Amino acid sequence: MEKLSKYLYKGYLPTIGIECHVQLKTETKLFSGIDNDARDAKPNTLVSHICFGLPGSLPVLNEKAISLAVKAAFALNVRPQIDSHFDRKHYFYPDLPKGYQITQFEAPIILGGNVKIKLSDSVKDIGITRAHLEEDAGKSTHKEGKDYSLVDLNRAGTPLLEIVSEPDMHSSEEAKAYAHELYLLMKYADVSDANLFYGNMRFDVNVSVSKDQNKLGTRSETKNLNSFRSVEKAVDYEIKRQVDLLEKGGQIIQETRGWNDAKQKTFSQRSKEEAHDYRYFPEPDIPPTKLDNNFINSIEATMPVMPEEWRNILKPLNLDPSSEDLLIDAEVEDANINYLPVIEKFIDSKEALKKVTNWLINIEIPLRRDNPEVKALSTKERVDYYQKIYDLNETGSLNSNRAKDLIEDILKSDAPITDIEKYASDKGYIQVSDESEITEIVRQVLADNEKATNDLKNGETKVIGFLIGQIMKQSQGKANPAIAQKIINQLIKL
Amino acid sequence: MKKWPLITTIANDVNNSKTTAVELVEESLRLIDQNQEYGAIISVLKDKALERAKFIDSEIKSGKNMGRLAGVPFIAKDNILTIGSETTAASNILKGFIAPYQSTAIEKLESEGAICVAKANLDAFGHGGSTENSDFMVTKNPYDKTRVAGGSSGGSAASVVLGLAPFALGTDTGGSIRQPASFTGCIGLKPSYGLVSRSGVIAMASSTDVVGPLTANVSDCALVLDVIAGKDPLDSTTIDRQSGSYEDIDDNIKGRKIGLIKEYLSDSLDEEIKQAINKTTLKLKSAGAEIIEVSIPSLDYALAVYYILCSAELSSNLSRYDGQRFGYSDKTAVNLSESYFKSRAKGFGTEAKRRIMIGTYVLSSGYYDAYYRKAQLVRTKIIQDFHEVFKQVDFLIGPVTPTTAFKIGEKSDPLSMYLSDIMTVGVSLAGIPAISIPMERENGLPIGLQLMTKQRKDKELLGLARKVEELI
Amino acid sequence: MAKLSDKEILELAKLAELELTSEELQKIPGELNSILDYVAILDKVDVKNLEPTYQVTGLNNVQRDDLKIDYKLNKEIMMSDLPDKAEDQIKVKRMIA
Repeated sequence: MEKLSKYLYKGYLPTIGIECHVQLKTETKLFSGIDNDARDAKPNTLVSHICFGLPGSLPVLNEKAISLAVKAAFALNVRPQIDSHFDRKHYFYPDLPKGYQITQFEAPIILGGNVKIKLSDSVKDIGITRAHLEEDAGKSTHKEGKDYSLVDLNRAGTPLLEIVSEPDMHSSEEAKAYAHELYLLMKYADVSDANLFYGNMRFDVNVSVSKDQNKLGTRSETKNLNSFRSVEKAVDYEIKRQVDLLEKGGQIIQETRGWNDAKQKTFSQRSKEEAHDYRYFPEPDIPPTKLDNNFINSIEATMPVMPEEWRNILKPLNLDPSSEDLLIDAEVEDANINYLPVIEKFIDSKEALKKVTNWLINIEIPLRRDNPEVKALSTKERVDYYQKIYDLNETGSLNSNRAKDLIEDILKSDAPITDIEKYASDKGYIQVSDESEITEIVRQVLADNEKATNDLKNGETKVIGFLIGQIMKQSQGKANPAIAQKIINQLIKL
Repeated sequence: MKKWPLITTIANDVNNSKTTAVELVEESLRLIDQNQEYGAIISVLKDKALERAKFIDSEIKSGKNMGRLAGVPFIAKDNILTIGSETTAASNILKGFIAPYQSTAIEKLESEGAICVAKANLDAFGHGGSTENSDFMVTKNPYDKTRVAGGSSGGSAASVVLGLAPFALGTDTGGSIRQPASFTGCIGLKPSYGLVSRSGVIAMASSTDVVGPLTANVSDCALVLDVIAGKDPLDSTTIDRQSGSYEDIDDNIKGRKIGLIKEYLSDSLDEEIKQAINKTTLKLKSAGAEIIEVSIPSLDYALAVYYILCSAELSSNLSRYDGQRFGYSDKTAVNLSESYFKSRAKGFGTEAKRRIMIGTYVLSSGYYDAYYRKAQLVRTKIIQDFHEVFKQVDFLIGPVTPTTAFKIGEKSDPLSMYLSDIMTVGVSLAGIPAISIPMERENGLPIGLQLMTKQRKDKELLGLARKVEELI
Repeated sequence: MAKLSDKEILELAKLAELELTSEELQKIPGELNSILDYVAILDKVDVKNLEPTYQVTGLNNVQRDDLKIDYKLNKEIMMSDLPDKAEDQIKVKRMIA
């Protein structure tokens, strides 16, 4: 049993469940062959008679939505349901053209599953109740001071997967971690673009508080949160609001609330009494879905390495948690750039792996975040580059600072750098290890710095640092300092 | 009542330039104009039809074959969308709605050279069995203008019988092709559910709606079915055609077992209908068929099941008529909620409202299991019973309706109107094909015989229909 | 089975977003109740071990490829069918205050 006492706020146990709408990464809408990417489209340009709900129009299910839902099932750690079907959910609203939404009510494609969330001091499983496919509604705008609203149906019919969690969370930290982990899962499984800015993932949080840990309190549902931070803040706000209200002798009503990001407050939208009777019934226009086990298995076989597995792979490196998170997050920031497969390539040599991981975390990832225009590299290109840089560094001809310069050059260069060694040498990044060349410089420096040379001869070894510095300066940084030191020792005969 | 040649003959004559599409369309338009008193037609597509006819004639002149329906005028029930023309479903809520896309059925007919000349009257949205529920006019029976033509495809049936065009399209949800065909004396085929695409057909009850032909003879019926049948990527519930052409039918009934449905021959059946059926049965027997009386006890529940399911589905299908995107929109509304309530209140007729209310009720929380789900369970029983009986017989026969065409205004309460569907709804629930074919009659009103068979055996059904046609 | 009260009729009408005329309010309750009385014959049907039939075709998995389709839709007509529009959008009475 989980220790619940740590979650108590003024003696109340908060309980949180989250519903998340994930926009699926398809070319076309859920039920019509119309472009699904409404981001830069003019209003009502991406619409068909089906999106408009015209008389006589019929939905035809997009197979990609089914295969993405199957992927999502595996990402949620469960096999999809063999049998599922769509239902109609009825309510009237101008952004809902047919007067009903096609969704899965009775037999969703996903039942069960779990998400492992990472907390500051532990890992916790959050149960998944169900996940179902449904169509999105249109978008409406309400201009200030006008007595009308405008409806754009470009988004109507976009495929969504609504993922419903169990009420397994008890703090805003857990809620935020769950939302973030869900984001990673959908990204890694390539189920969604999961772009929160464009509303590709929208969270509804159900929060209740109770003094009796065996009984749930009345819950509020705060809808349409579109950032991890707003999930965290809305949960915090609701816990506090509800506890304060109860402490003052008030009562929580079951209601839908919205989130005002500017004020960092939730506000009441409508109460349960006004809730609709949705009159669900099975959609007669779409035959049921019956998944074939071979089909399910073939999708399972293509599942990529998921964040949890990556964390296990990274474990032996003992990265600090923030570096690990950085890597796991960075992996899915751009579909064309993959860091983790690079790490996998170096997995057999712990030394190399440590260095390369370090370069990724401290050089390449920050550089890419600051310079989005930096071009992508394939995994093979990246592995080859890092292998060569590692080898140069290992043999001593490239010091760590120069390695950093070299990595930055490679990333920023317009044309690909094919011969790394020649490039580094032309750029003067390669350290001089030729003893006769260095001996020449050492002689010169010793002659130019008579006092220091004498001090050294008298046993004042602390001036060595100064002399090496002069040698590096003379050689424009190219001299290998270890070799320079050796030559000083030889010449002074220490 | 104009009698047109066989459709194949007409199309051949057009393709061989013995006649022209323009002449045929003009003839059809003239007849439509002359027969306005019957209230069969809601709108005439004069300009479009003539333009198309001219195009077809010019293509033929340049040596092309324009298809198996070249230049053949036809009339479509006005719940079937015709691109660029008004499609109303005979409801005020769709008055002025111009269809921005073509229904698949019309598309297929046009691709074989047919020309849609007019849109036929119906009970608004298909809600009714007499075409009295049209928001625009009542269609009169060609044999007796004081009587109904049946419904909901009353306009289509009357058009065919009046000879306004060689054929018409109708839709059948619970008997809406068969019953008017029976009342007016033409052939009306309700194909297997899913055999004809519903894309572009204004939905009534999605799980039983089907498009079918109304014609003067079985050959025409088979030809039209052959053109419109088959899977459609725009309708997920469409099924595969049977192999070969639907015109290629075998009318040999020697040794075939035909079941006479006991439940449909009850005391409430009109005596003259009973006699007509007996007569036909004897003829079938003498032609070599074996007639067996069969019982399908669950058919007693079919009407109740049908009215629950049909109302549920149509209440949902009519949700989109809200005055916001097309059709009637009330301009006096001062806010959004009023706009919905008033547009729907003024746009829908009383029958639509009544059915929406029933459908809303049987789907509402707390009543779903008792009504909607229960009805779907009994539906399974009906289907199983049909399945059982088709183990014993190849076909079923029975009346289409308990009475012949009734007087306009005679059935004022809705339940008695619903009861006239009692012999057609079982077939609809099971999705099996059925056809109404006129029987011999002596100076009375037309009487249809209903022939039924297994799902996806439409071709065999047409075979029996042709035999019956020949025997009568 | 239940008899619908006038209050329930009004609630039902509201759920269906329908306004009933006073004439309809006179007639419809009785008509609905007689229809509900009629369908009550289903109460006595034994449906043990049966599964509901929502669709009769027996079809499963009818899906399309994830590709754009040219529906041959006349969008100008579709937009001109709108009762009211502004800025290429559907203009409706204000949705939120």
